[in-house]
Amino acid sequence: MMTTNMNTYNPVELMVVLLSREVRDNEISACGALSHIPAAGMLLAKELHARNAELIILNSIFNPFKTSRQFHYLAQRGELGLFFVSGIQIDQYANYNLHQLGPDHAQPDVRFPGGYGGGLIYYAARRSVAFRTEHTKRSFVENVDYISAAGSSPEDTLRLGGPSKVITPKVTFMFNRKINRLELESIHAGFTLEDIVNNTGFAVSNEHAIQTAEPSELELYTLRNIVRQRMINTNTYAKWAENSLN
Amino acid sequence: MGVPYVPIIGLIGTDILKRRLDMKIVENPFNPDVKTVVAQSLRPDIAIFHAQSADKLGNISCGYDAEVVMLAEGAKHVIVTVESVVDKITEKDSVGTYIPSILVNSIVHAPYGAHPSGCAGLYDPDKVHMQAYVKASQSEETFQEYLKKYVHGISSHEEYIDMAIPDHIKKTIK
Repeated sequence: MMTTNMNTYNPVELMVVLLSREVRDNEISACGALSHIPAAGMLLAKELHARNAELIILNSIFNPFKTSRQFHYLAQRGELGLFFVSGIQIDQYANYNLHQLGPDHAQPDVRFPGGYGGGLIYYAARRSVAFRTEHTKRSFVENVDYISAAGSSPEDTLRLGGPSKVITPKVTFMFNRKINRLELESIHAGFTLEDIVNNTGFAVSNEHAIQTAEPSELELYTLRNIVRQRMINTNTYAKWAENSLN
Repeated sequence: MGVPYVPIIGLIGTDILKRRLDMKIVENPFNPDVKTVVAQSLRPDIAIFHAQSADKLGNISCGYDAEVVMLAEGAKHVIVTVESVVDKITEKDSVGTYIPSILVNSIVHAPYGAHPSGCAGLYDPDKVHMQAYVKASQSEETFQEYLKKYVHGISSHEEYIDMAIPDHIKKTIK
C-alpha cells in the first residue's frame, strides 16, 4: 500500500492507472487472455480521456468480433492502435518470453502455455505496452531465455509497430527506437533509483528519468467506483475487480 | 483457406520461427524492398468436428460462430458429427456459422457427440468428467483404464450415452 500526498492506492491500482494513460481517444486498443490490469485500464480510459476509444477485451462482452480470424486481420491491416502484452521475462531489447525457461530450448526447465497471437500482434499493432506485476531480476533480464516476440526487427522486414513502454509496479520504461533498448522513463513514488538498479537484471539507464505522476483523485475515484462496478456488472474479471480495486 | 500460403506480419527474430520449417521469410513480390513471413497452409487429409445440426445434403448449422469453417475449407475430406439431422438447412435458418454442403463429405448423427466438451447453445462442458479425464491422464496406467472404460470397451454410441452422459445434460436435448 502506497501513501503519498493525499491518496492511498495499492500497486495494482497504480498499474491500472498508468496503463489507462496509454490508451488514446479515437483509437482501437486491445488486450488478450489473462489481462485483468489492462482490461481495467482500458475501461478507466474510456471513462476519462478516451470516450471514443474502441476497446477489445478478449473473452468479454467488450469484443465486436465473432471469431478470432476477424481480430487477427484487423491487427494485420494495421488498424490496432494499442495492444497490451505481458511476459514471464522481458529483456533490455524489449523482447519478451511467454514460452519457456532454461538455456536449452529442447529441454526447458519450465514450459508455459505460450502466446497465441502475441508474436504477430507485437509487430502489427502500432504500439504495444508490456506490463509485468513482478519487478525483479528474474523477470527483467539481459536476454530472455526464449524470444516469443522481438522488440525490433531488421529494417528490410515489414513491421507496422512495436513496443512503446514497459510498465511495472516500480517504474515505467520507454523503448528507445534509435538504439532498440529500454530506458528508464520514470520512477514511481516510494522507490529510489537504487531499488530499481538492484531489482533489474540489465543495466538501467536513467539520464532522463523523472518521477511518475501519481494516480489522481479522479482516476482513483473513477476506478474504484465506476470501473469496478462495470467490471462486476459485465462479468469482466468480476471477482478480481471486486477484490483488487478498492 | 487451403490456399498455398499466407503472408504474416510478425514472428521475425523469434525462437518460434527458428523451429517452424513451414514458415519462411520472403520478399514481397509487389515490393521487393520489404520482406515478410509466409506460412505454408495446413492441408489436412481429414477434418472431424461437431456441430448442432445437418440436413440430408450435408448443409451444416454449427450452432455457434465457429472457426471450423476454415477447417472445412482447408481439409480434403470433412466429417461433421451432429446433434440432429433435419430435412433442410439454409443459410437463413442456420444458427451461428453456416457451412454449405459443398465443403462437407460425411455427416454422422451423434447426439451428445461433443461430450465431455459442450455443444454451444445446447449443453455445457461436463466438468466432472473433464476433471476425471485430467486425473486419468496423469499416468499411462490410469489413462489406459480411462480408454478401456470410455473408448475401447464401448460397443455402440447408445451405450456411451447411457453410461457417460449425466442426466442434467440429457435433459438439454428433447
